Amino acid sequence: MTDTTSETVRVGELGPTGAFERKAQDAGNHRVRNLLILAFVAFAALWPLVHENTFLLTMGTLVALSVIGATSLHLIIRTGHISFAHAGFMGVGAYVCVLLVMKLQLPFAVSLAGGAAAAAALALLIGPVVLRLTGKYFVLVTFLLGEIIRMVFVEWTSMTGGSNGIFGIPAPYPALAEPHAFYYFALAAALLCVGFCARILTSEVGRAMDSVRESERVAQCSGIPALQLKVTIFVIACALAGVHGALLAHFLHYVDPSSFGMVDSLNLVVMNVIGGMNHLIGPIIGSVFLTILPELLRGYVELQRVIFGIILIVVMAALPGGILELTARVRRLLASRRS
Amino acid sequence: MLSPIIIGQVIVNGLSLSAIYVLIALGFTLLFGIMRVVNFAHGAFAMLGGYALYYLYGKYALPYPLAVPLAALIVAVLSLVLETLVFRWFYQKMFQSMIGLLGLNMALMFSSVIVWDVYERSIPPAFSGVLRLGGLILAADRLMVIGIAIIALLAFWLFMTKTRYGVAMRATADDVEIAEAQGIDTRTIYRLAFLVAIFMTALAGGLYAQIYALSPFMGERPLIVAFVVVILGGMGSIPGAALGGVILGFTESILSTFYGAAVSSFVSFGVVIALLIFRPWGLLGKPE
Repeated sequence: MTDTTSETVRVGELGPTGAFERKAQDAGNHRVRNLLILAFVAFAALWPLVHENTFLLTMGTLVALSVIGATSLHLIIRTGHISFAHAGFMGVGAYVCVLLVMKLQLPFAVSLAGGAAAAAALALLIGPVVLRLTGKYFVLVTFLLGEIIRMVFVEWTSMTGGSNGIFGIPAPYPALAEPHAFYYFALAAALLCVGFCARILTSEVGRAMDSVRESERVAQCSGIPALQLKVTIFVIACALAGVHGALLAHFLHYVDPSSFGMVDSLNLVVMNVIGGMNHLIGPIIGSVFLTILPELLRGYVELQRVIFGIILIVVMAALPGGILELTARVRRLLASRRS
Repeated sequence: MLSPIIIGQVIVNGLSLSAIYVLIALGFTLLFGIMRVVNFAHGAFAMLGGYALYYLYGKYALPYPLAVPLAALIVAVLSLVLETLVFRWFYQKMFQSMIGLLGLNMALMFSSVIVWDVYERSIPPAFSGVLRLGGLILAADRLMVIGIAIIALLAFWLFMTKTRYGVAMRATADDVEIAEAQGIDTRTIYRLAFLVAIFMTALAGGLYAQIYALSPFMGERPLIVAFVVVILGGMGSIPGAALGGVILGFTESILSTFYGAAVSSFVSFGVVIALLIFRPWGLLGKPE
């Protein structure tokens, strides 16, 4: 699988420029990038003000929440593992948080931390064992693991309410019962999460993750404790998935096992794949795309799934780097035209 | 509790489940062993096999011994279109194949929802009676499944060991480049292997749909079964798929008779995860 992930977009490929020029170009790229980020955040912040439609507001909230899940999975993917159990960890966070709120009457903030901690604890328990596996074996184990977690939700009726789930979950705080307030709450959570992931990826830890993904053995020879690093990232990512699940449950006011099955894990993977797996922006594009497209095709649920499937096939066959690779290719084409 | 009736039931159920599981897993392991493709769309092909049998046997009332192989053959031949359009891009690309074929699975599953709607249908049983053998009471349709599977497996074994194409296929699985250097047209071999794999999957899907129920979503269980069996036996190993199928079939039959279906799923998944961790190449596979 290293053959797909190593195709990162290299800035130096833009043309035979001297070091000085390249530096200027880098700075220019960074300025463009910062402007784009600023524009995106401003757009997201102003989103509820441009219209009065509560449906669009709900969409915005769902996108913000799924950004948390998709970027947290992105962290795991950047260490070279594709987890198909991520929705399971979402579910653990959701159920633990909801049960703490509803059965023990704990305040929301404490319960949220509890949910994240539960997901993290489960990840810490199984991470050191499963992260020794590579490629296809990891995919298969996490696939089965996700099924087991979902089956626990279905079978443990006394705690989880079985397939019916738990209804009537209150809003986290009375102030957040209002949709606008929850939107800004979710947006803040998403921005915090993205900022946190970006900080990890641009730090020395991020570079260590890249080296582990490209070649674990070489990384170990350079003194990187590969397994320890992967477990740490896995635990952090699963805790964030737990936060995603808990917030989602409190936003929708119910939880049931069907939100945490294989299809949902797959959705998170697809967000990363369609957006592009080599950059943090990939999962963000992917979650916007994958949350909004289903709603546009709402009347044709089956057709929409068929189209999804075909998009996945085409992306994997022609563009393993996702939408980001498409933009990179276009940019390279333009650059070659210009010279 | 352990009356002869129950023992007979456990054995016959175990054998018929094993037979279906082996067929499903053989297709999966063949695609993986030769093309290095992880076929996440495997369940969808089993589902198509179910619908083909539904039409040929249930609707057009062809004689059963003709309908069963014909249904599988139709699905396999039509699937060659998908081989050209989809699978060809993913040969020897393990990772891309997983995600891309998950997409194919989704596309096939929901296309069949559009065509056939979501409700469950049933394929009429070929035989309804029971067979009394001493103290044992054996359901005739289950025995039929076992018989069909044994014939199919025997034919597969003869094909792989006695014919030129079978030998060429095994050579291609061992080493593509050396096989090509020997004058084997690997492109044709790939298509042939695909045809055989889908044939067995569709055959198993038809039998599975007849025992349980037919719906566009029935493929989920065969897909998980294929995973579990192939991991048990070792990915790409043909004897491994046979051994894994028998182990899983009997485990499920015994556990679900005495402890219920949920326990049986938990145990088999748990065992597989444990096996993957300590011996990821499976019981009969080779370590990489």
